[in-house]
Amino acid sequence: MVAAHEARLHVATSVDDAVAVLTEAGGDAVPMAGATWLMRAELRDEPIRPLYVALGRIEALKGVEIAADAVSIGACVTHAELAGGLAGLPEMRGLAQAAGHAATPAVRAVATVGGNLAASGFAAADLAPALLAADAEVEVAGSNGTERLPLAGYLATRDQAAAGSLIVRVIVPRGDCVSAHTRLPLRVAGDYPVAIVSMNVAVSPDGTIADLRIGVGSVEPVAARWTALEEALASQPLDPEAAATAAREHAGVFAPRDGVEASGAYRVRVLPALVRRAIEALAASR
Amino acid sequence: MPVNLVVNGEERAVAAPPLTPLADVLRDTFFLTGAKHVCGEGFCGACTVLVDGKPAVSCLTPVGLLEGSEIRTVELLADPSGDLSPLQAAMERHDAVQCGMCFPGILMSLTALFETDAAPSRDTVRTALAGNICRCTGYERIVEAALSVCQPEAAQ
Repeated sequence: MVAAHEARLHVATSVDDAVAVLTEAGGDAVPMAGATWLMRAELRDEPIRPLYVALGRIEALKGVEIAADAVSIGACVTHAELAGGLAGLPEMRGLAQAAGHAATPAVRAVATVGGNLAASGFAAADLAPALLAADAEVEVAGSNGTERLPLAGYLATRDQAAAGSLIVRVIVPRGDCVSAHTRLPLRVAGDYPVAIVSMNVAVSPDGTIADLRIGVGSVEPVAARWTALEEALASQPLDPEAAATAAREHAGVFAPRDGVEASGAYRVRVLPALVRRAIEALAASR
Repeated sequence: MPVNLVVNGEERAVAAPPLTPLADVLRDTFFLTGAKHVCGEGFCGACTVLVDGKPAVSCLTPVGLLEGSEIRTVELLADPSGDLSPLQAAMERHDAVQCGMCFPGILMSLTALFETDAAPSRDTVRTALAGNICRCTGYERIVEAALSVCQPEAAQ
């Protein structure tokens, strides 16, 4: 057991440097970016690691690059930078909303994309469901090189990842689609959401749903796709009330988490309303 | 190894463990007690200061990440002679301050806002304060005071 005042910090100068130090330290070290999650560990009686590897000075982890077919988001891009960088891309509206409304302005100014996805105890992360809905992939560097894997696969295996693993960037495909991000915090802002629903939809010329991805966050311990509802809404029109009804019929797939701010049952109960709002937003943005 | 900072315009060095929250360094080392270390989780905003011009919750900011950073705290706002800044004066004029615990953070969040948006709307002011919890005032006088600084007619 290490006390916070005993922990050391290595300020990495490159991805290779960070991977090497993390690998050598084994499970005794973790990456640190904005630090907003890790700095709560002591107050929450969570373990302090002997070594933290700071990533904020690594240029290769910064920047939002917009190409014709995809957007590349550096792992150390902050929520505020992401919201600003995606402004003007209609298909990224949901992701921009997720980045621009999470937490508070001061936290958004430093909390990063990579940290949001790597914090395995953070069930209420906004970016995870938004990026699931956007069909994002994650590029992870490690001692054996770099690999690219779907976000869902990363979220499922991040706790078992080898020491030295490090998110380098997130790749989000672009396409002819629209997206929306709805969330229910107990306060209007600055609070962890009880539940989150993110949607990304491609619409056929006749107005029906051609392709739909739904990400759900904060309900279960890890954000996940709501594939049962995706299948139920396939080829249907963007009808908010019908979608909410279908959401009620398919809400039984979740194994929700209880928390001090809301019970698991309540998290599931609000999902149809969030689905209705998301479909309304999608219909309005077409 | 000491961390070099510029705090309210002065070059300072601090030899604190790297995970020490900036709020503790400001209060316990530099005796700048305006920022309040309250919730320790970034929810309340009472510890808000400016780091390189951006609002930051100093309770969640490890000093080890701040080499070369410029820190501004509420102590910098008033003139050295003691005259309040226009924002502070507006808060006093609107009788917006009650217990004062949250106010250093509120003033720094608004200072950051005004540096990027000289004439923010009411909604923008409220959004900028989303991370600053006040349990006394109900916010309305705070918002009115802020608007009176940048939009005197809108606050009438």
